Amino acid sequence: MVRLLTHNLLACHAKDCNTNNFPLQFKDVQLEIREADFNPEFLKGFMPKIDWKALVDTARQLGDTSLPLEQPEMVDDEFLKNLHHILLEIHVEEGSMTCPNCGHVYPISNGIPNMLLAEHEIG
Amino acid sequence: MPPRALEVAKVEGRPETYEDQNVHAVYDEIAAHFSSTRYKPWPIIAKFISSLTTGWVGLDSGTGNGKYLPLPLDRPGGIWTIGLDRSRNLLEIARTAGSFSASREVVWGNVLDNPWRPGIFDYAISIATIHHLATHERRRLAVKRLIQSISPSHGRALIYVWAIEQDELSKRKVVSDNETPSFTGKDVIVPWVLSKNLQVPSNNSSDKNGEPQVYHRYYHMFAQGELSRLVIEAAEELGLQLEHKRRDEGQNVRGVEIVQDGWERSNYYVELRLWQT
Repeated sequence: MVRLLTHNLLACHAKDCNTNNFPLQFKDVQLEIREADFNPEFLKGFMPKIDWKALVDTARQLGDTSLPLEQPEMVDDEFLKNLHHILLEIHVEEGSMTCPNCGHVYPISNGIPNMLLAEHEIG
Repeated sequence: MPPRALEVAKVEGRPETYEDQNVHAVYDEIAAHFSSTRYKPWPIIAKFISSLTTGWVGLDSGTGNGKYLPLPLDRPGGIWTIGLDRSRNLLEIARTAGSFSASREVVWGNVLDNPWRPGIFDYAISIATIHHLATHERRRLAVKRLIQSISPSHGRALIYVWAIEQDELSKRKVVSDNETPSFTGKDVIVPWVLSKNLQVPSNNSSDKNGEPQVYHRYYHMFAQGELSRLVIEAAEELGLQLEHKRRDEGQNVRGVEIVQDGWERSNYYVELRLWQT
């Protein structure tokens, strides 16, 4: 599965690609929305690790504009529910992710991203 | 069934190619049958996962059929473990590990790569994976990658590998009893007899004779102390101190503490915790 939870952690790892290699850019995606159990305690614990700009930009590219541009200091239930939906309920089933720096394309098939590199691309 | 002696493996050619043929290809073939025999979490691993803080995210490097992804069962969704594996067919099973209606996060990748923001995970586990790498250098690199994937200030990791010392319940036995103790472990071939009702009909002549298909996997069986030494070497290469965090330490010192190491049911394990001043 590629949900935005995972997407926010992934980075390009091709040889010599060390800067501006995150976030990977989704392309030609097929999405599925599947309900997941709401766990506010998880979300609060995970928030400090989120790269907020990457998450907001990516969610907007996928058509969800419910998140504020800055991560709020005080969180309410409505915010957490939006965050929950974006991180854990939007599944990218097909498509690809492109590195903004080197242009490497990581395909996604049946919900599984292929992060393998060819031998000459390994750093 | 009495223990079978295992054949010694000779790693020849390029290790990448050797692993492709003797590990990755085999797991893709036996994925369904293998997974049906691997459903019970080992106690030390389940305990480790239960001890993790709600809100943490982790990496299961070499997740196989993903049996650790649903844990802890008493705190569903309290932490998220992302499974990475080299076998695409095992990942197809791992993506619904624990329940067919569940969705797990899985990534197709190599444990020697780091397709992540550096140090972004709070924890990482590597269970029964590093022993499939065909050289000492590659096993050390896998440990380095695991350490690099977790937070330098609080990251925790647990590594499990097969031991030369197999317990009395094991179906397998290493070569012979009267050898001198090894410090460098042993490379062996472990057969996998594919369950007949999971075999794919093919033109393979062994099918016609009614013989089961047998696949051979490469394993490096670890000697006593070898796993901890691998961790120490990896930590030294990464410039980490190998002791407890001390109060009088200067600024920006990084280290790794070995929290526990031992042997459990035919496996060696080591638990690590990173720290930073």
